[in-house]
Amino acid sequence: MRYLRLLALFVRTELQFELAYRVNFLAELLSLVIIVVTSVAAVLILFAYTQTMNGWSFPAMLVLLGVFYIVQGVGELAFTPSFQQFMEQVRLGTLDFVLLKPASSQFLVSLRYFKLSNVAQVALGVIVTALGLARLGDELTLIALGEFAVALFCGLVLVYVLLLSLSTLAFWFVRVENLLAVYEAFLDAGRFPVDIYPGWLRLTMSTVIPIGIAITVPAQAVAGRLEALGLGLMVVVTIAAWAFARWFWRVGLRSYTGASA
Amino acid sequence: MIGAYRALFVAGFQNASQYRVQLFLYVFFSVLRPIIFLAAWVAVAQARGGSVGTFGVADFAAYYIALTIVLHLALAWDAYEFEFLVRQGRLSPLLLRPLHPIHYAVVNNIVWKLFTIAALVPVLALTAITFGARFQGEPWHYALFVPSLVLGAAIRFLFGWIVATAAFWITRVSSVSTFFDRIQFIFSGQIAPLALLPGALQVIAYAMPFAYMFGVPVDILRGATTFEQTLLLLAGQGFWLAVCYLALQVAWSRGLRQYSGVGA
Amino acid sequence: MGEPVVEVADLMKTFRVSEREEGLGATVRSVFRRRYRDVQAVAGISFGIEPGEVVGFLGPNGAGKTTTLKMLSGLLFPTSGRATVLGHVPWRREDRFLSRIALLMGNRTQLVWDIPAADSLRVLQEIYRIGETDYRRARDELVDLLDLGPLLNKPVRNLSLGERMKVEFAAGLIHSPQVAFLDEPTIGLDVSMQARIRRFVAEYNRRTGATVLLTSHYMDDVVALCRRVLVIHHGKLLYDGALAGLAERMTPYKLIVATLHDGAAHEDLGAYGAIVAREEGRVTLRVPRENVAERTARLVGDLGDRLADLSVEDPPIEEAVDRIFSGELPVATA
Repeated sequence: MRYLRLLALFVRTELQFELAYRVNFLAELLSLVIIVVTSVAAVLILFAYTQTMNGWSFPAMLVLLGVFYIVQGVGELAFTPSFQQFMEQVRLGTLDFVLLKPASSQFLVSLRYFKLSNVAQVALGVIVTALGLARLGDELTLIALGEFAVALFCGLVLVYVLLLSLSTLAFWFVRVENLLAVYEAFLDAGRFPVDIYPGWLRLTMSTVIPIGIAITVPAQAVAGRLEALGLGLMVVVTIAAWAFARWFWRVGLRSYTGASA
Repeated sequence: MIGAYRALFVAGFQNASQYRVQLFLYVFFSVLRPIIFLAAWVAVAQARGGSVGTFGVADFAAYYIALTIVLHLALAWDAYEFEFLVRQGRLSPLLLRPLHPIHYAVVNNIVWKLFTIAALVPVLALTAITFGARFQGEPWHYALFVPSLVLGAAIRFLFGWIVATAAFWITRVSSVSTFFDRIQFIFSGQIAPLALLPGALQVIAYAMPFAYMFGVPVDILRGATTFEQTLLLLAGQGFWLAVCYLALQVAWSRGLRQYSGVGA
Repeated sequence: MGEPVVEVADLMKTFRVSEREEGLGATVRSVFRRRYRDVQAVAGISFGIEPGEVVGFLGPNGAGKTTTLKMLSGLLFPTSGRATVLGHVPWRREDRFLSRIALLMGNRTQLVWDIPAADSLRVLQEIYRIGETDYRRARDELVDLLDLGPLLNKPVRNLSLGERMKVEFAAGLIHSPQVAFLDEPTIGLDVSMQARIRRFVAEYNRRTGATVLLTSHYMDDVVALCRRVLVIHHGKLLYDGALAGLAERMTPYKLIVATLHDGAAHEDLGAYGAIVAREEGRVTLRVPRENVAERTARLVGDLGDRLADLSVEDPPIEEAVDRIFSGELPVATA
């Protein structure tokens, strides 16, 4: 409860900040529209030569692209701003102030800053998903929608866990901004279904850097290609990954304070 | 001038070496990007029974490996940094120095590229093996690839600076830059090999500078052009380099006048 | 009460640092191999602080002051040794402990740059779980003591350095800590703002009874605020006691002031010690501590009746503190 109140407070301060820079907001909105339109164009070019790609039809691919932008949007809205600040705080030494607070340091570090203009990216993702679903023409069952919601939630948790684990490395290596580039590179690969990639990349994107399943599985849920077993597995993996990230964070924190020495 | 460049190179390498692990990781993983579209085209080719137009799986592999190398060596990212310099008011001290700011950018670009090129090798080798890449160039292809690459890099570099000078007039260059990056994404041969762009898009692509930055050197490197075509494409590159050079001269001098007029 | 608020015994901290050399060759080599070396930042120190004390923590740069403060506030694990603050072991970092202490660092800010400090204070209220009445009381008191007026409602980026430091104090003390660790709280501020902060710390200590341990490079801070000082050098505690006794302990000489009936302006007393000052009929000599008795006796014997007055004094405290900051300290014997 207290953490929810804190969260609301954080979002409010961010909103104040963003309202002060409305021109920026418009400029970023424009960039987002350009990016989404050109990505749709890319898919169109590919499908100028084929009806299906590895079993994915054009509408199913649109759904996937929509989910891709929803996941990326939420990541940039709620996760990456805080982690970027965190790395800056480690570098400047102001992380000490966070660690002095009588509250969960993981919470204070990872959900402190937001980039609210990315709500627009999430919205664009929803639009692209809806377009794909409309062209898919299948009747959307309530069960499929439920599976979609569960898979998407798990996917977002997986992205959070991945970012938290990458950021935790900052406790050992002071300059790790480029580690976020690792995340971005793999995230970018999420724009296509994970099953088109060669084995080693597919494996990486389903295990160590689970961006692939984070995006592909929710899309499968509504594009009618998901088996119940797949969803169950994803839930289990998500819980395990969450536990791992919490543990890793504590190890990092202990090392930062010299506890292991 | 040579002395200045030497000092800048030494400082640049020292700076880069501090971030060696991160730089390596960054490049290592940025290699993924071309592989994404390679995998997509391979999936399309397989759906069509093995090829798209003249491209088989092995040709796509060669294309995207060549693209990765060319992108790494020819891409520049100055617009974003320039906006930062102007907004933070850090450009003025640079302008006071008796060396045009573009030289710092030249050195930084070269240092970064040399420092990180080794990181490309493992992923590219893995890709070549996975897809059985096929390069079919004659020796002259490789000889002419070098000037083509240099020309492509120079066009991209100058183009980036033209966009960057917009920072003199507007504060948010990154949106403008994103716009051009995405146009370039489609028309420079990143989404699809230029030869596979559908109809009108292909014509547009060859009429804009973007194809000459990356797509042209890539096609030469993988040996997909005839000798006559190659010379024609190199001439096209020369033309766009000249255009960009003149445009930058105009944009820079006007921009500086604007900048000092505001008194920043 | 009456029990020490801070107790430290044999506290020790060793860091491992990488070494770097200059030049391109060395840079390239360091890409492949880095050399490490152990640095003992705090080499076993012990002390205690009573409730309500304001204690100055002095030493040259790199002496181990900040490392000690970080261990006492729970940011660093010691390599060995014990410490309790308010009955807690700091590095267990219990919420109840963290709620009762504060660490302010003069060269670092915890305020969010683009929003007014009032909003940051609200966030802190929520984090520290401060009730509304307590929050208002603490805030009003800080506004009053620091003369904040409208500053809390301006975006932090629009504040001057001094104003920002005042707001920083408000943010750091909004939860009414019982122990405050202040690391260089006046660094970089102009003289009048330094004095302002100094008055605030003294007044805050008087009103709330909070215990303060402070490091500073400005001797005025120490002289004005601290009756007791700890001197640390190379990670070892060299002195723990009254500020007044510092000069005696830290300077290897004393001053002999001789006043002569017939005026000594023309007299050459250089043979008895280094002449520090010479006024009408009064000469101040600097004499190594161990020679004081002998030189005094010689002066009395040689000058006889001409001597109106003779006194032996410790050098001014400023000089002692100066020596501490510049690292010219006697070899550790403590």
